[in-house]
Amino acid sequence: MVARREIQQGTLALMILKTLETLGPLHGYGIARRIEETSGQRITLNYGTLYPALLKLEQEGIVRSEWRQSESNRRAKYYGLTPAGRRQLARETRDWHATADLIAAFLAPKGPAR
Amino acid sequence: MRWLRSGLARLIGFLSRDRAHDDIQEELQAHVELETAELVRRGLPPALARRRALIASGGLAEAAEAVRDQRTLPLLETLVADLRYAFRSLWHSPGFTVLVVITLALGIGANTAIFSVVRGVLLKPLPHRDGDRLVYLRQSADGPGAANLTFSVPEVRDLRNGVTSLAGIAEFSTWGVVHQTEEGAWGIGAGLVTGNYFEVMGLSPILGRVTEPRDDGPGAAPVAVLAHEYWLQRFGGDSGVVGRIMVLNRQPVTVIGVLQPAPFFPEREDVLLNLVNSTHHLGAAMQEGRTHRMTEVVARLRPGTSLEQVKAEVATVYGRLQRADPDAYPAGSGYRVTVIPFKTVMGERARLTLILLMASAAFVLIVSAANVANLTLIRGIRREHELVVRAALGAGAARLRRLVLAENLALAALGAVLGAGLAMAGTPVLVALAARYSTRASEIRLDGVVLGFTVIVALVVALVLSYLAALPREGGIAERIQAGKERTGGNRNGWRIQRSLVVVQVAVTVILLAGAGLLTRTLIHLANVSSGLANENVLTMQVTLLTWNEMRDANAVAAARQQVERIRQEIGGLPGVVGVGMGGTLPLRSSGYYNLLQAEGGPLARPGEAMPRVEFRTADPEFFQAAGIPILRGRSFTTAEEWRPVVIVNQVLADQLFPGVDPVGRRLAWKADWMPDSLHWTTIVGVAGSTRDGGLDHEPRSVVYAPMGHMAGNSAGLVIRTKGRADGVIGAATHVVRRVAPLALIDEVMTIPQYREKNVSPQRLNALLISLFGLLAVILAAVGVAGVVAFSVSVRTRELGIRMSLGADAGAIRSIVLREGGGLVAVGLVLGLVGAELSAGVIRGLLFGVAPGDPVTFAGVVLIMVGIGLLACWIPAARAARIDPAVSMRA
Repeated sequence: MVARREIQQGTLALMILKTLETLGPLHGYGIARRIEETSGQRITLNYGTLYPALLKLEQEGIVRSEWRQSESNRRAKYYGLTPAGRRQLARETRDWHATADLIAAFLAPKGPAR
Repeated sequence: MRWLRSGLARLIGFLSRDRAHDDIQEELQAHVELETAELVRRGLPPALARRRALIASGGLAEAAEAVRDQRTLPLLETLVADLRYAFRSLWHSPGFTVLVVITLALGIGANTAIFSVVRGVLLKPLPHRDGDRLVYLRQSADGPGAANLTFSVPEVRDLRNGVTSLAGIAEFSTWGVVHQTEEGAWGIGAGLVTGNYFEVMGLSPILGRVTEPRDDGPGAAPVAVLAHEYWLQRFGGDSGVVGRIMVLNRQPVTVIGVLQPAPFFPEREDVLLNLVNSTHHLGAAMQEGRTHRMTEVVARLRPGTSLEQVKAEVATVYGRLQRADPDAYPAGSGYRVTVIPFKTVMGERARLTLILLMASAAFVLIVSAANVANLTLIRGIRREHELVVRAALGAGAARLRRLVLAENLALAALGAVLGAGLAMAGTPVLVALAARYSTRASEIRLDGVVLGFTVIVALVVALVLSYLAALPREGGIAERIQAGKERTGGNRNGWRIQRSLVVVQVAVTVILLAGAGLLTRTLIHLANVSSGLANENVLTMQVTLLTWNEMRDANAVAAARQQVERIRQEIGGLPGVVGVGMGGTLPLRSSGYYNLLQAEGGPLARPGEAMPRVEFRTADPEFFQAAGIPILRGRSFTTAEEWRPVVIVNQVLADQLFPGVDPVGRRLAWKADWMPDSLHWTTIVGVAGSTRDGGLDHEPRSVVYAPMGHMAGNSAGLVIRTKGRADGVIGAATHVVRRVAPLALIDEVMTIPQYREKNVSPQRLNALLISLFGLLAVILAAVGVAGVVAFSVSVRTRELGIRMSLGADAGAIRSIVLREGGGLVAVGLVLGLVGAELSAGVIRGLLFGVAPGDPVTFAGVVLIMVGIGLLACWIPAARAARIDPAVSMRA
């Protein structure tokens, strides 16, 4: 069994944004499912974590929401990226890669030639 | 920008709370349904699917709460609710609330009041344009009366030509004038200023104009600029005053403008005049005399230059002019010039006193806040049950902390409001106090900055109180609930804090008491110090008959001499008067004139050694007897000697110049800054007792008396000796002067005891204020000690009951309690004494006749504190001794 992981501060927003970019407008349940699946069930999302994060992104103007009918004909609140959200995603992806590369270089088994 | 946007969104959310509320419920509901549907689709029975979905949600209520927190500003939101709750709960314990609010109000009020003075006198920006670029130049040397020599015109000229980092150098000299109107004549303060004075000072007129460079020089018309206060006082704020003629020193002067309100400098001046008003100022003696110093110098830094640059440049230029004229700056006399920011000079005399007062007020606040902390801790322990229940119902530690904070904020806010009210009531007293030290006293008020300070003090107090309070730790809640009844013991942590608080209270009170004691002893010493006058039944008055300009007129001088003679005779004939003497300066006041002396035989000054600087005074034959100054050797002057080269030295000077030898018959020579000739040889005819002419708190200094003819003065100091108390002849004596010389100016009408009282009144106010603070601290500390010990007794009732049933008698129980309280007091006392010993040196400058470590004062403080401590512990101890073991153990 894979250990459940705590979500690092800030990474949840990035996951949400990427999900919305890939799948288009989606309701909270859909976002949660997608993130859990993509993580290979290593992450489970509480509502108490997910919804405040969504609201925060909305307050920051990165996503916007509207009530719509779902595919199963239920009313649900759909979240979608705003133009600012796309820019934010691009920027954060870049930053993340840069950080990841840096850390990888540090942790690489063989360092530069002595 | 993003945080701004989200912050705004949250603020809007906070203000329009309820609307979006159901949105999230619906959204969460939708989530559950979607997940249930999914699980059903995977084959789970609907009931089980729903249950799974709900479990996975992690709690719908918590989620909704978390979203709501994100939607608005939870801190603000709960704060509002908490404050409402706090006020409600305080309302229900009025005794506690009133006690705490009053205690805090005393501490906060004291700090607000003193800070308003500190701000008005020391901190507030000057009203002068770019006031932070103004500097004051001070020339000083070693020896009495040389702390501020001021400058001579040639010196100013050299500085002006040499120092380029100053944009302007303005000259000011203090001058006394008589303003004569149809209603009467008033002696007013005046300043003679150069045309650039206002430009340099950065002051503007509110009416008309101020002086300009064209008002300099002998050809200019005499003009006057009215100080704002004098304009209001004498001219009723009449806007038509510009162009009017006022009669100053019997000469017409045109009013050209009214100055903006500005603090007086260096002391009160009612009019500012151009130099042509004084014949003396444009005369050769003043214009050319390098040591003829009577000009204050204010300058303005050139933009972009620093104070350091100016200091360096002034030092260079001053060094150059010293080398150019070694006679004017004798080596070894320590001639120097310091450049001081103008604002610092304005607050100079007040600084030490204000630091003392501010520190004392802070101490009072510490003691009162400690009391409040103890009260809230005790209350906190009594309501620990409530907090535990709240914690058990899901309030986190942070939430409880906020609840406590809200309550303390409410208390501090009430205390601050009441404190500000107290400060407002005390302001007039403090303005009167500050006016003795600073001309900026009129700027003292409770303005926004002062109230801001009050708010910050209150906030800090609330925060400190909140973080002292013990809260049920999250892990320990179940334990506490189980502990049930035993909870009243409080946790050890709380107890340690309470004990430390009492120790701090006692320590701080001891420091305050030591300060109050030292200042009170200073006051007592001052009140009893011998002034040097053998008998103080003396009335003094300074009668000014001539203006400085009139002194050049031989006829006017002769007329004035006749008037003085008549005044003397008529006052001498009044009932109760036993003698009338006269001197250029009244006894116990400084003449302001200093000579450089040498005794016969010695060189004027050995190389590298300063010439003795000696105060110069004049006296007539009756002066010494009338003033009560004993003639110790030789004799007083005779009438025939008025113009003869004879002098009387005081004991201090005799010991200095002729140690162990009778100086009578010896000769000495003097030269003076204000005398053009080089050396005057005179013969000593007598030695007079020394008097404290530099203030009661200064040791007598060297004085040489010459007969009246030696220094032409424009005013006569009348010394009137009476048979009984001198107050009785004040009316009659003034009446004589008014009748004989209706135009004369009468100043300093005071008996010697009145003068002494006036002299010590700043020290009296200091001692009074600090003692007041000390008294406040003692009362608060006593309440603190009594409160904590009483609470300890109430907590230990059962234990004490057991002890009693095991055979402890009332005395034993009392001593248990007394030991507990006494221990706290003792530790506080020791800490306080150490603190007082360490900090007393700071106020050394305010003390007279007592050392900072004065053992008598410290012993008194120990006695008072032990007494108060015992008293404070005795009440709960006595109560403990009355405990009925049967009742206490059943409780």
